[in-house]
Amino acid sequence: MKTSRSSSSSSFLLLTREGGTRPEIQANPDAEVIALSPKTLMATNRFVCEVCNKGFQREQNLQLHRRGHNLPWKLRQKSTKEVKRKVYLCPEPSCVHHDPSRALGDLTGVKKHYSRKHGEKKYKCEKCSKKYAVNSDWKAHSKTCGTREYRCDCGTLFSRRDSFITHRAFCDALAQESARNLNPPSIGGHLLGLSQQDKMNQGALSSHDILRLGRPSPRYETLVSPGGFNPSPRPSFVHPNHDHDHQNQPSYNSMFPNKSSLQGLMHLPQLHMNNTSPNSSTGLFNLSFFPGNTNNAASTMEGGPHNSTSGEDSTLFSSGNLMSIAIPSLYSTSQGMQSPSGGAQMSATALLQKAAQMGSNTSNNGGASSSLLKSFGKSPDHHSFGDGSIYNGGGNHMQELMNSIAAAGVGPGAAPMFEQVEYRGFHGGNSNGLSSLEQAGRLTRDFLGVGEIVRSVREQQQSGMDHLGKQTQPFGEGSFH
Amino acid sequence: MFPTPSPPSLISPYPWLKDLKPEERGLYLIHLLITCANHVASGSLENANIALDQISHLASPDGDTMQRIASYFSEALADRILRAWPGVYKAFRSTRMPVLAEEIHVRKMFFEFLPFMKVAFVISNQAIIEAMEGEKMVHVIDLNATEPTQWCALIRDLSARPEGPPHLRITGVHQKREVLEQTAHVLIEEAEKLDLPFQFHPVVSKLEDLDVEKLRVKTGEALAISSIMQLHTLLACDAGGNRSPLAPMKGVGVQFQRAAHTNQGTLGELLEKDMVNGYSPSIDSPSSSPLSSMPSSPKIDGYLSALWGLSPKVMVVTEQDSDHNGKSLMERLSESLYFYAALFDCLESALPRASIERLKMEKMLFGEEIKNIIACEGGERRQRHERLEKWNQRFELAGFGNVPLSYYAMLQAKRLLQSYNCDGYKIKEDNGCVVICWQDRPLLSVSAWRNRR
Repeated sequence: MKTSRSSSSSSFLLLTREGGTRPEIQANPDAEVIALSPKTLMATNRFVCEVCNKGFQREQNLQLHRRGHNLPWKLRQKSTKEVKRKVYLCPEPSCVHHDPSRALGDLTGVKKHYSRKHGEKKYKCEKCSKKYAVNSDWKAHSKTCGTREYRCDCGTLFSRRDSFITHRAFCDALAQESARNLNPPSIGGHLLGLSQQDKMNQGALSSHDILRLGRPSPRYETLVSPGGFNPSPRPSFVHPNHDHDHQNQPSYNSMFPNKSSLQGLMHLPQLHMNNTSPNSSTGLFNLSFFPGNTNNAASTMEGGPHNSTSGEDSTLFSSGNLMSIAIPSLYSTSQGMQSPSGGAQMSATALLQKAAQMGSNTSNNGGASSSLLKSFGKSPDHHSFGDGSIYNGGGNHMQELMNSIAAAGVGPGAAPMFEQVEYRGFHGGNSNGLSSLEQAGRLTRDFLGVGEIVRSVREQQQSGMDHLGKQTQPFGEGSFH
Repeated sequence: MFPTPSPPSLISPYPWLKDLKPEERGLYLIHLLITCANHVASGSLENANIALDQISHLASPDGDTMQRIASYFSEALADRILRAWPGVYKAFRSTRMPVLAEEIHVRKMFFEFLPFMKVAFVISNQAIIEAMEGEKMVHVIDLNATEPTQWCALIRDLSARPEGPPHLRITGVHQKREVLEQTAHVLIEEAEKLDLPFQFHPVVSKLEDLDVEKLRVKTGEALAISSIMQLHTLLACDAGGNRSPLAPMKGVGVQFQRAAHTNQGTLGELLEKDMVNGYSPSIDSPSSSPLSSMPSSPKIDGYLSALWGLSPKVMVVTEQDSDHNGKSLMERLSESLYFYAALFDCLESALPRASIERLKMEKMLFGEEIKNIIACEGGERRQRHERLEKWNQRFELAGFGNVPLSYYAMLQAKRLLQSYNCDGYKIKEDNGCVVICWQDRPLLSVSAWRNRR
């Protein structure tokens, strides 16, 4: 028994009865409300042949089947009168679609709804662990599972691009809020000529850069930010596993101060031109390149007052910029150098600069009285090894050092047996294209660091420096003139 | 104590060396290296031997930074010395079997633990994206297609750009087919994921033998060329066997372009044909060249001209920024000492001393480069790094004009460096080019170029 139109709004309790009724649906008040029991709803074959009990989903199919039994059959034509619209109710009482005013319009739809919401999930995806109650849902999911994934930095996974983009905007805004609360925007921001909003956006984007780039765990496959946010897209990379954890906040902390430093960094080339050139010269040998810049190197080594370059650095930038950080790191190593108790390890770069500077001290002081070794013992300028105290204990050792270095500085005369041999590997033994004798002289002229050492070592030995003691000349004049 | 050549079994290992503090040891090592190189350069091998012996007592590949540097430099010097006896040298190296997988692994570690490659990628990609704004057909040529990460990022960025993704073709050049296949696989997968129309063309070829025709540049597409630390190897070809007496002059670019398009074969053959009326400066007199003190290098100039002839919208070049191509050993030693000291310091700040990755990188990457710079000559010395200004001159000579790298590219590079949380890395701008430095030492430069005419 089916419905009867009624305007009463009384109870829906009749729904348990097959063919229960009730009226008044908003969209189509004339629609026929059908409430089926769960069993009937989920029954796949509602139409059953009386002869063989075979079930069919559609009545038409049953009728056609009945022909086989020689039973009377009748195919119903689509009725000419206007078909009354049917709506269906969900049999679950606690469900919102149990109410006729919220009935669902399609039988298949209500079946699926019932399975999805109130049924058991019997189908499971192979790739991920998602389970589905409806077969078609499961099939549809399997097709796209894993093929297209968007992952936000906060870890949420999306299968749809639009929802991913929307979430990212939201996620950005949240992150921005938290960062803004922690860190007032730096004054440098306006220097960049960006509006406040742009700055925030720029910052937000860059924080994502940092998040992506600085992320310790391998968060692969993050797609780029939405076009709406971005004036131009930016590259993204997978960052290697670093031991430190980049949270949202520290990244922002480091981001904002750098806004001003970035502006300032653009000024850097002028400041640092004079700093870079000395490193490029053969500072260890050819001192003519060095003097102008020795002071720079010297002052960075001594840990004393900043030279003009670094002074400007600190006034131009706010904290956290790269330049002023770099110089103190040199300071720290050089200070370690000065404490004879073997403080911090010097970096190789710093060692080279020190060595070059020692060589330059040689020429700066006229080359007469200073040498690499003298600066080892007693610095004429500012750095000292603690007044050579370390060497006093090993005074004997210094002799040997000097000797070996002096000997090493001896020219080709000391190796007569090799002079005649042609060194094909060296293009005739002299990559400079000079004979060996000229080579010796050239060594004296050009490689002042070495030559000077030998000459001045000899002079020291002749003059007999105190803390190095007197010693006999192990060799004569040598062939170094 | 060492007056004249003394027999090698001379002295008990210098006991006082043990008492040296690390800083002193470092300084002494530097001194010994210079001294030894002096001897090697002048041919006094016995003294060089003594110096090397001393170094061997102080240097160590797993000690502190300076000790490691010294061990690789001394090995390079020894390698150089040993070449005087070709038979011995060849026999000594005859059982070396480099493993390709190891080399690839080391390059991956270099990419992971040091920021240089990533910064180069970020800047290069940004320059390419900016140049390709509005372009529908984009063709990228990678002169050394080993690291697909760069192009994965480019694919991601291009597919997300506001005007929609272009049709992208990437042509990868490499000597080994397997490497190209691997790269292709990764890139095709990435493009499919993002629904970007994509093609990859492998070109199996040595860089110096590259035939521009094989690159298959089509009309109507926007071309980008990317070269990361490759071009300097071409400078070796000029020093080696195939030196051409011709020096292409400025107007040559047109002729090379015509030749390149008329299927003339490899660039090597190009140079041998007499198609240029130029002068022929002597090899040893760089001052005769009108270029500011630059020796004539027909190979690289011809190569650049050929690339120019392809009319790229942008060519992005990353190169080491240091002069390791000096004529004399001492020049090269001095410059490379500074340069590799900076690189070893980078590693020291990135990885602990016991790290295997670090040891491998120092040995297989930096150590090999050092050996090549110090020990090899002629065509074998392929690590001919030069300063940025020299490269800029070369590009301009070939008809390229500089495209200043954008502020945004710098910004991303800086952010990337900051994420390494290490104070030593610095980045600076130099005439539109970006230079990555360690402390004050420039290490790597990135610049972008387009056809000027």
